[in-house]
Amino acid sequence: MVGMSAAIIQGVPATTLDTDLWVDLPQRHYIRLLNLVHRQGGTGLAPTMYALADGSLVNFIFSMTGLRNFATEYEHAREMMWNGLKIRVLPLERIYQSKKASARDKDLAHLPFLEKVMRAQKRNEEKKKP
Amino acid sequence: MLKDWKKVHRKIRGLRGLSAEEKIMIARSLAATPDERWQMHENFLRSHGLFSHWQRKASGFKW
Repeated sequence: MVGMSAAIIQGVPATTLDTDLWVDLPQRHYIRLLNLVHRQGGTGLAPTMYALADGSLVNFIFSMTGLRNFATEYEHAREMMWNGLKIRVLPLERIYQSKKASARDKDLAHLPFLEKVMRAQKRNEEKKKP
Repeated sequence: MLKDWKKVHRKIRGLRGLSAEEKIMIARSLAATPDERWQMHENFLRSHGLFSHWQRKASGFKW
C-alpha cells in the first residue's frame, strides 16, 4: 500500500478518496486486476481505477515516481496488520519522497503536514526508549 | 490504542511548529491502531456523505 492510504494507517490524520496499491505487474496486464475486482463485485472506472462493491475506490499503480524499484521498496516496506491482514506499507519517509518527486500540486500540498507527523512520530518513539 | 492519546500528547506537546490543534489531532492518530486510524478516516468521509464513489459522483466529484 502506498500514497495517503498508507500514510493514514501509519498515523497521519488525513483523508483520501482512494486506496493506492502498487502492483508488481506491467500495465498491459491490467486486465488481471480488472478480473480480480469483478470477482469481488467491483467495477472498473478507468484502466487503473476501480470501485469495489462497497463503493470505495482502489487505484492500482504500476510505477512510482521518485522511488527505487518495486522489489527494493517492498523489501524495506513496513509490515502492518490491517483489517486482519498482514500487509506491506510504504514508510512515511518514502511516501514523502515520492510525493516530493511527483511534484503535482495535490502531492506538494501534503508535504508540510507529512513532515509534521514524521517529526511527532520520531519524538514519540524517542521517548519510548529507556 | 486511541484511548491512550493523552500519553502521546504529553510526549509531543513541546514540538515547535505545530499548533495546539495539530498536536491533539496527531497524538490521537499516532496513539491509534492502524484499524482505528482507518476507521477514523472512513468515519470522516461517511460524516460528509462522501464514503462511496457513487455518493461522491452525486455530489459532483469526478471520483
